[in-house]
Amino acid sequence: MTEPILRLKGLKASIADKPEIQILHGIDLEIAPGEIHAVMGPNGSGKSTMASTIAGSPTYVVDEGQVFLKGEDITAAAADERARKGVFLSFQYPTPIPGVTMVNLLREALKARRGDEMPAREFLEELRATLGRLKMSEEMARRYVNEGFSGGEKKRAEILQMGMLKPDLAILDETDSGLDVDALRTVAEGVNALKTSDMGILIITHYERILNYITPDRVHILVKGKIVKSGDASLAKEIEANGYDPILKELGLLEGATA
Amino acid sequence: MADATLSPAYGEAAVVAASQGRGEPGWLTEQRAEASRAFAALPMPTTMLRPWKYTDVSKLVIDGYAPASAVPSVIGAAPQGGFAGPLAEAAADATLGPIVEAHLGSLVPATEGKFVAANAAQWAGGIFVYVPRGQAFAEAVSVTIDVPDGEANQGAVFPRMLVVAEAASEVTVQMRSLSGAAADLLASQVVEVFAGADSHVNLVFDVDWGLATRDFSTIRAKTERGADVRIATLAIGGAVVKQFVEGILEGEGSQARIRGVALGDGDQHFDFVTLQDHVGPKTQSDVQIKTALAGASRSIYYGVTRVEETGLGAAAEQENRNLLLSRHAKADSDPVLEILTNDVIRCGHGATVGPVDQEAFFYLQSRGLDRRQAMKLLVAGFFNSVLADVGDEAFREEVATEVEEKLAVAHI
Ligand SMILES: Nc1ncnc2c1ncn2[C@@H]1O[C@H](COP(=O)(O)OP(=O)(O)O)[C@@H](O)[C@H]1O
Ligand SMILES: [Mg+2]
Repeated sequence: MTEPILRLKGLKASIADKPEIQILHGIDLEIAPGEIHAVMGPNGSGKSTMASTIAGSPTYVVDEGQVFLKGEDITAAAADERARKGVFLSFQYPTPIPGVTMVNLLREALKARRGDEMPAREFLEELRATLGRLKMSEEMARRYVNEGFSGGEKKRAEILQMGMLKPDLAILDETDSGLDVDALRTVAEGVNALKTSDMGILIITHYERILNYITPDRVHILVKGKIVKSGDASLAKEIEANGYDPILKELGLLEGATA
Repeated sequence: MADATLSPAYGEAAVVAASQGRGEPGWLTEQRAEASRAFAALPMPTTMLRPWKYTDVSKLVIDGYAPASAVPSVIGAAPQGGFAGPLAEAAADATLGPIVEAHLGSLVPATEGKFVAANAAQWAGGIFVYVPRGQAFAEAVSVTIDVPDGEANQGAVFPRMLVVAEAASEVTVQMRSLSGAAADLLASQVVEVFAGADSHVNLVFDVDWGLATRDFSTIRAKTERGADVRIATLAIGGAVVKQFVEGILEGEGSQARIRGVALGDGDQHFDFVTLQDHVGPKTQSDVQIKTALAGASRSIYYGVTRVEETGLGAAAEQENRNLLLSRHAKADSDPVLEILTNDVIRCGHGATVGPVDQEAFFYLQSRGLDRRQAMKLLVAGFFNSVLADVGDEAFREEVATEVEEKLAVAHI
């Protein structure tokens, strides 16, 4: 059996500055090569924390449990090491990097990931092709990273990086928020086109909009730092139709509701 | 080393004899004699003086350092009637001599301070750049001062530059200063710039001294109507680099743009003092000083934006940003506004001191960059806004390489 791309085993995590505040209360998850999983949940349920913790953000500490990438325990690895091993996080709120162009960042990131410099010509060809897929202009690549980008431009720029870096695991945190329908379709089609058969994708969203374009193999519902329900793509449809309340009610998790 | 032997070269008689020995014109010998008297009479600045608050030179004995020869190389083809070359040659020239005499020492008088007095008395190997009315240098004038290790240990150099740009003329000067790594060298520099009406003058200083050299510079420009002066300093080398960079905006609608960048490591000490003096109406100035400090290096910024009563409709920006790359680095920043009229268009100032943005740092790490690679990129980006349009392409590449090489080994 092939190793899963990502395996979370009993993952508990807290805020590094406030270790008394635990946000993830034991998460188990397995993504096989080629699979797309969606994690859905109400605002504040811990989705971004989960994404950041997998990516190795120093903002959070793992209290218990492990993160495995292709069978390797990376729980203690720094963020940059994880990225070089194949983890990619598309941020919910991408940060501006003043004075650093996207081309500059991509060249450095590729050098780090590959261990050597990508030939300039090959780089340019890939860049052009990837920009084209995402309906982005070449001018975007010469601008400073996320500086003065609109919400939609930022999200496209994240997927551009995913396409160039070819990670084994891509975590897309609310890549659909802030996009209009056309932009959403372009980005989603871009993800579908850039996805390879041995890649694992974790889509984090609190709407199901993006899942109309990217069909997940599994859907997990995260509530208060725990996965309370998992299912196939139909679970997302259920939420689209009825919202989270029926599920929360069924599980006795709806606040203010009597069981 | 207060009791160490003083160099005999600083006395008036020695200064006059040296000037005569070089065959300098009488007015220049007289100017130097006056400067040597001022040097003897003036005290060293103390930390009681605001611009010297954080740079204590009380133990420095200028005349303990024997003047060392440092003949700069100058490359740059002058347009018709123009000149870029040795100041001494110009001073002795029948046509250029009167121009030099009319300007030299009139903007930075020898009597105003100990360091400039020493320079006026001792400069040798000075540079004169002259652009006649309506003319332009086709390419940047490139000046290099290089003082190798050896004879100049415990020596002093006195770089001097005079730039006279007549009406509607245009010139760029790029100056690079180098010295050996071990040279306990004292550099006291004076640069005077006269920017005629509607002229464009662009000066770039690449301060790449060895790590035992101390640099005290005064760079001052005066503008006539509509002139545009740009001065940029990039400080990479030097043990101490203290620069006064000043724009005296006299002519209506003239402007000065001052840029400074310093990249520190070890115990390097950078001190920038700027002045944007809006004398004429509708004058504009823009100062941006950025430092990135590794190791236990430190930077000091003290700058004054002054709008005189006559500076109606002035617009000024003043910004100082300091990036601390290590816990031991330190920066002090003090931008000051002195506005003497109500009629200003805008007068902005800002100052920051702090570590790199942690979110930006994590973003780069999440793309696979290790700590040093991420720091390099963030610092290069931080400097970009200041360096993006300074000097020519080759100069910018050179600077990028210097920054990259320094950060590859810096204590971060
Ligand atoms: N760095 C932090 N400091 C304080 N609280 C945090 C921090 N990160 C997350 N939280 C809290 O943890 C909970 C989960 O946040 P988050 O993971 O962003 O949720 P989601 O992405 O599902 O909306 C929220 O209550 C949030 O306020
Ligand atoms: Mg979130």
